[in-house]
Order: sequence, then structure tokens, then C-alpha cells
Amino acid sequence: MASDEKSVQLKSDALMEQMKIHLTTDAGKALTKKIGLVYQLNIAPKKLGFNEESYVVDLKKGEVKKGTYEDGKPDATFSFTDNDFIKIAAGKMNPQIAFMRGAMKIKGSISAAQKFTPDIFPKPAKM
Amino acid sequence: MAMRELVSGGAACATSGSSSSSNPLGSLANALLGSSSKTQERLREIPTSTAIPSDGSASVGTGEPLSGLPGSELDHPLQPNAQGSEFLRGFRSADQHGLADVWDEIQRPQVNFPPEHVLRQPDTNGPPQRVLSSFLHSFVNSSHGGIPFCPATLPVLGLSAGDKQCIRDRSSIMARHFFADKSEDFINAQVNALLSSLEIDNDIRAPGPAFKRYQELEKYWHETHGMRPGPNPADGWVAEFAQHPVGHGDPSTWVQSFEQEHGANGWASEFEHEHAQLASMDHIRGATMPHLAAMEQTRMLANTLAQNNDPKFQNSKFFQFVSKMSRGEITVEDNQIKPATLSAPGDWATEYQQQYSGGQTWADQFVHEELSKGPNGWVDEFASERGHVDDGWVNEFSKLHVNDWAEEFGRQVGEGTFGDSSADNWASAYDEYLNEQTALKQQSESSRGVYVFSDLNPYVGHPNPLKEGQELFRKGLLSEAVLALEAEVLKNPDNAEGWRLLGIAHAENDDDQQAIAAMMRAQEVDPTNLEVLLALGVSHTNELEQAAALKYLYSWLRHHPKYGTVVPPNQPDSLYYGDVATYFSDAARMSPDDADVHIVLGVLYNLSREYDKAIESFQTALKLKPRDYSLWNKLGATQANSVQSADAILAYQQALDLKPNYVRAWANMGISYANQGMYEESIRYYVRALAMNPKADNAWQYLRISLSCASRNDMLEACDSRNLDFLQKEFPL
Repeated sequence: MASDEKSVQLKSDALMEQMKIHLTTDAGKALTKKIGLVYQLNIAPKKLGFNEESYVVDLKKGEVKKGTYEDGKPDATFSFTDNDFIKIAAGKMNPQIAFMRGAMKIKGSISAAQKFTPDIFPKPAKM
Repeated sequence: MAMRELVSGGAACATSGSSSSSNPLGSLANALLGSSSKTQERLREIPTSTAIPSDGSASVGTGEPLSGLPGSELDHPLQPNAQGSEFLRGFRSADQHGLADVWDEIQRPQVNFPPEHVLRQPDTNGPPQRVLSSFLHSFVNSSHGGIPFCPATLPVLGLSAGDKQCIRDRSSIMARHFFADKSEDFINAQVNALLSSLEIDNDIRAPGPAFKRYQELEKYWHETHGMRPGPNPADGWVAEFAQHPVGHGDPSTWVQSFEQEHGANGWASEFEHEHAQLASMDHIRGATMPHLAAMEQTRMLANTLAQNNDPKFQNSKFFQFVSKMSRGEITVEDNQIKPATLSAPGDWATEYQQQYSGGQTWADQFVHEELSKGPNGWVDEFASERGHVDDGWVNEFSKLHVNDWAEEFGRQVGEGTFGDSSADNWASAYDEYLNEQTALKQQSESSRGVYVFSDLNPYVGHPNPLKEGQELFRKGLLSEAVLALEAEVLKNPDNAEGWRLLGIAHAENDDDQQAIAAMMRAQEVDPTNLEVLLALGVSHTNELEQAAALKYLYSWLRHHPKYGTVVPPNQPDSLYYGDVATYFSDAARMSPDDADVHIVLGVLYNLSREYDKAIESFQTALKLKPRDYSLWNKLGATQANSVQSADAILAYQQALDLKPNYVRAWANMGISYANQGMYEESIRYYVRALAMNPKADNAWQYLRISLSCASRNDMLEACDSRNLDFLQKEFPL
């Protein structure tokens, strides 16, 4: 994570990193107990479905990994653009509105998808 | 409303020109033809046969009607008037000249019907209308004769895409209507045959109207079914929604959006397509066909229903049930409604919608008012089975842990009483969303460098707003300072200091968007100002815009009188983080006592998420500049982002001791508590931050999240209406 040689660096990458660390804290562990599901997030830099980077937010084990979920099927899979994901995680965009607008795509279990709320994600502090 | 009614321009609509939302086609037909009975007649007219060269291309049709399921909605917003006109035109033309008919050799001569009309030879050179009409008639015929209708090649009929779509859709309905007594295979084969002859494929997009009549009809349609007049809040969102690209100008519903999404969704449409393929290749599996037929039927129904703008409609359980059926998730088998065993693509999302549809009230109303006495079994079954149907899916949700959006939505809907107010609740939630969107748009404008000035600025006209602004800033009255400084830059747009201070004030007020906008203006006026460059680097880092941040931090170094030599003279095209970091380290070694270099380094390490190094840099800088409140905040933020929340809080506290009105630090405190799961505390800090700057949108969003996490949904409304007094009373620090 030290050097971003790639020309396209997703903003969401930072959020995912934060999430990774967050899950090691008490609060993060509480999250795994509370939710216990595996989400896969496909994040596209500009346009939905293009050049997606996948992350697995495993709220069973309490891990965040880059890439698709290998150990089976994720409970729910989401697709967003980079900006939209940031907005949703920050609570700026309502997930259901996003879904209705087609800004967010969901596959998998609806009940799992419903548990995917902004409060899962730690908020970044501002310098 | 029964399919029959839709299709045949049924009896329900007596007066021509009357508009009945339950019978769009009927009213159209009436308007056109003056009476519905005539249409019925035409349908019964049975042209006799004349042979035409046949292709015998057995239902090779790629299953258009069947793949014309959710995916097709994506391709063309259904325009029933288009359908109606085309279909009727086809029939109309039949009136004008006897019917040429299209048969192939497979058509058996045992035609059971009396040849009521003498037909001419098929005139393949004739006007496309005639050929088309005859073709359509033969299709109809075959129903009556129980004769399989086989595809035949027709001359190019010049069917426009819209026409094709209409024909396709109409024919599928008609087929089901006519062949109700036949097996499903038969129906689909027929339809396929018809369509393949007409070369109607899947890839059809609805074009602009090509026929005058169509235009008339469209106009008529819009008159009767267009936006309802009146200040109904539902209009607002309907109108807005119509402008949304998803709608293609037709007001579309979230179901359609959803369906649209699924159309685009690879595996969903593949699933449908696969089904279609199965059907078309005459490998008809008994199980799938009835489902598909029902799906097709209900899809049409759903489409027509979807044209109704009434939000009640959209949200009714009935409509969703229909949509669900159309996607094959539930099927009617043996007079029971069963969820499809195949995991239908739209499964979860429909349930998702169902969750939000809430009130049974609408469904009740709808079912009672508008459900025709039509014989369609499934409709009746639905009414009776609804209770049963609800249990399965809805119970699952009621057992779920209460969630932010779901609960809020359900509550909003539940609070509404019958009919209008429930629509209003939903509509007002939508309005709120739209307001949010305009606010966001504003924000996004400024992030692109467009500064947004406040209205009603009392400092405009002040003799020396800059000085005033500086005073206010010093006193810690950030929002006031902003106003004064805005007045200054309105007066003197080239005042770099004015812009710079404005940018800083915004950053401290926790508004990076505006901060960036102001700083960009400052940079325009004074490209080498180091503070400006640093501030831009910081704000962009906060916004996770890494490339931009790197650019500005690099510029800082380049323009620095002392360290300018560290970097190569020519600006490289693309900046690599690694290189920049090296330069900075060099600079730091050059003069270890320069706090600024350490500060910039700290920001740089934040970019690369090397938090430990960043913390070290900031601490070094703090030793040199212990009273820099902004530095304490930077340290705190770095610690917070590396999840050392306890340390972060200490750092923030230091910052706040130095600057009590430091909105950003207050908000950051809230964030730290929230990230630790201490939601009640976080609420207090957010409220405090907001009390100082009610415009801090970030803080509002975070407050909302914390409120619902702390199960303080009672205060959500206060939060949404930004009722600070109320919130402050409730959550003092």
C-alpha cells in the first residue's frame, strides 16, 4: 500500500484499508458478532461494471481482502462506482435510493444486503 | 385488470374519449374506433387462406417474446399507445381492402371456420400495412382453426422498431388470449413463428413515432394519463423522476428501474434468455413453459400498470406481485402461488421492494377498486392468497434486526393512513432525497473548483471586509469570518489573502469542498503561495483524491525557496509517490528544524497510509510548534485513521484547548467515538460541531448514522429537519 504506482487509485481503497484495521478493534469485532456475513464489493473507478476492483468484506472472520471471494459465495455482492461507495459509506447517499437509481447493484440475499448500512464503515477523520 | 380487457378494448370503457386508468387500451381503441365492439368484430373476422411461399423456418425464433421479459423493459419503455395504434392500424387497414393472407404449406385446408370474406392473393408488393395486417390476421385465424401457424417469409415490411416491439408484445398477449385452451408450447410456437416471420428480434429500441396517428394517440395518452395536475407532492417526484435518464421520458417506477437493472445484468438476462432458448428450440420442458407464459402475461400487465403514475399504484403489493410473477419468481400452480424454485434473478430485490411497499392499505384499495371481475384465475388467487404470500417473505424481514433505511422507510409508510397520505410519505421521502441531491450537486460543483457564495451576506458593502474577516477569524467565529471574507473577495476577486483565509476558514469549519474551491482561487492569484499549496494538499488528502494531493504537495516543495533545488528542474508528467517522498526526506535532512517540512511529510505519509511515519513527522513538528492547533488536529486525525482512537482524542482535546471553536476538531471527536462504537458520546460531539457550523453536511450525515446506531430514531426527524435547538437540548455536552 505504500506506493501507488497505478494510475488509477480508488478512493475506496483508503476506506477498505481503514476497515481492515477497524475490524481488529473491539468495535470491529462487535461488528462481526452482530452481522456475521460476507460481502463482496465490486468497485468501478468511473463507470459501473468497468475495470472493477473487488474487495471482500468478511464480517464473519473479520477481514478485508482485495479480490473476489474464493471460499464460496458471498452473502451479498454489491457494485458501485468509487465515488458512490464513498458517499454511501459516509451516509451521504441513502443505499435504498442508490439502489433505486441504479447506482448500486445488488446480488445475493436481500436480507444480507439490507444489513449493509453506512454504520458498518469507520469514518475517516479529517486533517 | 384482466388481460382480456386490456387486449380487446373491453367493455368496461363505454364512452369514447373517456379515460380510464384501468383500461388504457380500451379507451384508446374506443377513441379511435368509436366503439369497442368493432374491434372485437375485427378480431373475429377470419380471412381465408391463400398460399404463400413459406420458409418453414420452424419456430426458430430466438424466443423473442420470452426474452422480452425483464430485459426488454430496458430496451424500450413500453408505450401502450404505440402498441394500440399499430395494432389497430393493422386492423383498420384490413377494413379498407380485403385481406390478403399469409399461409404456408403447412396450413391445413381443414379450416373449420366459414370463410366470411373473399381474399385476394397475397399481395406481397402491396403496402406493408396490408401485408402486415393479413399476416396478423392469419395468425389470429390459426387460433380459431386450431391450426399451427408457421412462420413464413414476408417481404420487408418496413416495420419500425417501435412497431416491431408492439407487434411482438401484442402478439404474445393475443396468443395467450386466443390460445387459452391450447397448450403452452403451442402458444409460444405460434408467437415465435409470427415474430420470426416478421423478423422481429430482441434488439429493438423504441424510436420516435413515425405515424401521425401514433402521435395523436400519444397526445391523447398523455392527456389522460399524464402528470396529474395539482400540487400533489407525488407530482414533484414523478416529474423529477421522469427526467431521470432511467425513464426515457416516461415516468418510470422503481420496479422498472429494478427490472432495467436486471436487464442489463449479465446473469439475470442470461437466465431469461436461456429459458427463451429452451423454448424456442422446441425442447419445450413442460415445467418452464407455463411459467414463462404466465411471466409474459404478467409482464405485460406489469408494464401497463407501470404506466400509471400514481405512486399508490407503484407501491401496491398487487403491482409488485404482478412484477414478481412476471419475473417468474412466483408461479401459479394448481391454484396455489408458489415461489419459483429456480432462484430467480430478481428475487431478493423484489423482496427488497416489498419490504418498502409497506401498507397493505394500498393493495387493499387497489384490489377492491380496480380488480376486474375478470376470469383470470391468478388475479383472484392473488387476492385470496395475499395473506399467505405475505407471510413467507415479510416475516423474514420482521425478524431481522432493525436497520436504518428499512425501518425508516417502513415506519414512514406505516405512519401514513389510507391512500394519499401514505403516498405522500413516500413522496416526501423522495422529495427529501431530491433536496439532498441538489445540495450534493452544489457540493460537487464546488469540488470542481466552483465556489458557492452564501446568500444574504450582511458584510457586503462593509468598508473593509478583509480586516473584519481576519478579526472574526481570530475570535474563532468561523462562519462569520466566512461571510466577511466572501464579501471581501466579491469586492476584490484578486485578493489572494482573502481567498486563502476563506479557504482555511472553510477547512476549519469542516467543509473541504468549499475550502478547495477557495484555495484554488487563491492559487490562481498567487501560484507560489506555500500555505495555499499545503492547504490544497491537505484538503485533497482528506477527500481521498490522492493524485491531486500529491501534485500540490510536490508543488509545495518545488516552490519552496530553500528546497526547490531538491527536486529536478522539469516537472515530470506523472508523479510517483515514491519519488516525492524521497525528495521530502532529502529536504527534511537538509533542515531538520523546519517544522513545515515535517508537516508536509506527515500529510504525505497519510496519503500513502504509512500512519506510523506520519505520526512521527507530526510529533516532530509539534515539538517545534506546540501551539499550532491545526497541527494537533492533524496528529489526531492520523491517529484516528490508524485506529489509535484513544490517542486521537487526546490530540483533539489539545487542539480544542487552543481553539475552542474548531469545528473540525469537534467533528473529529465525534468520529472517533463513533468508530469505537460509543454512539451516544459521538452524538453529543456532532451536535456541538453542528451548533457552531450548521452547514457542516458531513457532520449531519454522521449524526444521523450515530442516532440510528444508538437507537435514537425518535431524533431522526429532528436531524433531518436540522432542528439544532431540539438536538442541543437533548444532547448537551
